[in-house]
Amino acid sequence: MPKRVLIVDDGIFFRRALRDILTAGGYDVIGEAENGEQAVAEAIRLRPDIIILDVVMPVKNGLEAAREISGLAMPAKIVMCTSLGYEPIVDEAVSSGASGYILKPLNESKVLGALKNLYPAETC
Amino acid sequence: MDISKYKTLYLQETSGHLSGVEKGLLSIEKGYDAAAVDELFRHYHSIKGMSASMGYEPLKKLAHSQENLLDGIRSKRIDLTPEIVSTLLQCLDAMRALLERVENDLPLDADISGLLEMLISAGKGEPINPRTQRQSETAPVQAKTPEKSHELKLSNVMTVEGRVFDDLLSIVGDLLGSLSTFKSLTHASRSIAFKDGVHTLGRSVDALYSNILAARMLPIKDLTEGLPRIIRDMCIASGKEIELKIEGSEISLDRSVLQSLAGPMVHIIRNSVDHGIETPDDRINNAKGPTGQIRITAYSKKDRAVIEVTDDGRGIDIERLKIEALARGASRDKIISMTGKEALMLICMPGLSTATVVTETSGRGVGMDAVKDVIEGLGGTLEISSTPGAGTKITMELPRSTAIIKALAVNVGTEVFLIPISRVEHVLEVSARLAGSGSMEYEDGQIEIRSLAAALGMDETASPARQASTVIVVRSARDERDSRLIGFAVDDFGEEIDAYIRPLLPPMSRLRGVMGITIIGEARPAFLLDMAQLTSKPTERT
Repeated sequence: MPKRVLIVDDGIFFRRALRDILTAGGYDVIGEAENGEQAVAEAIRLRPDIIILDVVMPVKNGLEAAREISGLAMPAKIVMCTSLGYEPIVDEAVSSGASGYILKPLNESKVLGALKNLYPAETC
Repeated sequence: MDISKYKTLYLQETSGHLSGVEKGLLSIEKGYDAAAVDELFRHYHSIKGMSASMGYEPLKKLAHSQENLLDGIRSKRIDLTPEIVSTLLQCLDAMRALLERVENDLPLDADISGLLEMLISAGKGEPINPRTQRQSETAPVQAKTPEKSHELKLSNVMTVEGRVFDDLLSIVGDLLGSLSTFKSLTHASRSIAFKDGVHTLGRSVDALYSNILAARMLPIKDLTEGLPRIIRDMCIASGKEIELKIEGSEISLDRSVLQSLAGPMVHIIRNSVDHGIETPDDRINNAKGPTGQIRITAYSKKDRAVIEVTDDGRGIDIERLKIEALARGASRDKIISMTGKEALMLICMPGLSTATVVTETSGRGVGMDAVKDVIEGLGGTLEISSTPGAGTKITMELPRSTAIIKALAVNVGTEVFLIPISRVEHVLEVSARLAGSGSMEYEDGQIEIRSLAAALGMDETASPARQASTVIVVRSARDERDSRLIGFAVDDFGEEIDAYIRPLLPPMSRLRGVMGITIIGEARPAFLLDMAQLTSKPTERT
C-alpha cells in the first residue's frame, strides 16, 4: 500500500510541485489544504499517513496546525516544510509534534529523502 | 525535476502576490496595520520560496531582504517610516520588471545590489542612504526594457473557446488511431529506424495528449458558482432557509465531465431543497436550527474525483420507498432481500421519478434515474446514503477525465467491441463447450459465464461455429470488495488500444450496455461496453 499523503501549503506552485514529486515517488496524494485550519479538518477527514505542512500560512500557521494535529492522537506523521532562514523553527516544529522537515527550495531528493526517513525500517 | 513546467504557475502566483504587495504597501502607507504587515510578510515569504525553487536568484534575494525587513517591522524592532514604504515600492517595481523578464525568458542580470543595500540599512533602522537611493537599481532593471512602458502588450493568458480543445482532443484521438496502426506494423518490420521513429512518435503523441488534457481541466468552482443564486431563488419560492457550503472547489475535472455534471448537480440540489430540507417551522419542531445546510465536498481519490452533496434534511423513508417500488411492479422477493443501501437506489428506478410519488414518499426522486444514467455514462458511480430525520448524502465518484481510455478489443461475430481494461481481470481460452455451459471454475470458485452476444441482444447464430472460445473475466464493479467476477464468452480478442471515446447521443445513449463509441482501424465504429450495466443482473434494470 502506498503511503497516503496530505499536502498543506498556501501556494498552488508548491502544492503542485509536491504532488508531482510525491506521485512520481510512489506516494498517494489524497488531499490538499491551503492553510492550517483546513489542514486540521482534512487530517481528521482523510486520516493520511503523512502530512506535509508548510510553516508560513494564513489563517492558522503550520506550527499551530502541527500542535493541534498531534494533540488528536492520530497516526499521521508530520513533516514540516519551510524556507531557508527558518532553520530555528525546525526545533520548535519537532516539539510541536513533527517527525521530519523539508527545507525549501524543493527538489525530489530532499522531499523523498525526508519522507523515507520517516519509515527507516521499510523499503518503499 | 523539470522545474520549467512550473513557470506558468510561478508567474501567475507571483504576480498575484505582487498585486497583494502593492495593495498592502498602499494600505500601510496610510498608517500601521498589523494584519496588513502580516499579510505583506507572507507575500514576500511566498515569493522568496517560489523564486528559490525556480532558481530566480535576484527575485529570491529581493523578496528575502524585504521579508526580513517586514519581520522586523512586525516584531516592532523597526519603525515603519514613509521612507521604508517608498523603498519597498521601488523594490516592487524592480520585482515586477524582473518578473517580466522571467516571462519573456530574458536573463535576470539586473544589478539589484543598490536596492539590497537600501533594504539592509532600513533593516538596521538606519536612515536609507539617499546616495544609494539615487543609484537605485530599479532604473537599470527597467532600462533594459525601456520600450515596455509604452508598448501595447498582449496578455500571456488567452481565452480560448472550449470547443477548440474538444477538436484538439478529437485530433489526438485520430492520431492515436493511426499510431496503433503503425505500432502493429513495427512487429513485422525489420527496420530499426522505423521502430525508433514509431516509438518517438508515440511519445510525442502521448505528451500532446496529456498537455491537451491538462489544458481542458476546469475547477469544480466553475460549476458550483451558479448554485448560490439557484438556491436563493428556490428558497424565496419555498420559504425555506438554506445555507450552502462548498469545499474542495479547486478540484479540477475535464470540461466535458464537468459539463455533463451540470444537469445532475441542479437535480440533486433541487431535490434537496424541495424534498430534503424542511421548512423553518418543521426544522424547529424537530430540534434543528431553522436554516438547512447543503454541503458540497469535492476531493480527489487517485485519478478520480469524488463529489459529495449532503443535506441535513428529513432523509429518505426507505420503507415507503419499497412500498412505492412494489406498487410499480418491482419483484417482492428482491425488495425483501435488499440491503438498506440497495433499497435507497430504488430512487433511481424510472417508475419512481414522478413528482407526485416523490412528494408523497418525502423522498428525492425527481430525475434521479437521469442523474444515475449521466454519472454511469461518464464511467462513474453514484451512491446514496440517508438517515431518516437527519439527512441525505449523494456521493458521485467520477473519472477526472474520460476522453481516452485503455480498452481491450473483443470480437463477437463480425463486430468489434471494447471493454475498459480497468475491468478486465483475465483473458482465457477455453473450449466452446465450456464457454457455452453457463459457468466455470475460476481461481477458488465457480463463476458465471454469459454470452456477450446474448447480453447485448445480438443474434447468436451469427457467430461462426468454433472449437475454441475466449472468456473475458471481468469485475462487476470497480471496487474489489463488493464486486464479483463474471466471464463473458466472446469469439476472439484483439489488441489493447487507447480509444478516444465519443459520447453517445440520444437515441443511441439509451442502448443498454454501451457507453460510448470510437473509430478503430479502417474507419470502423466500435462500441465501448458499459461493464457496470452488463454485469448487473438482467432483471435489475427495467
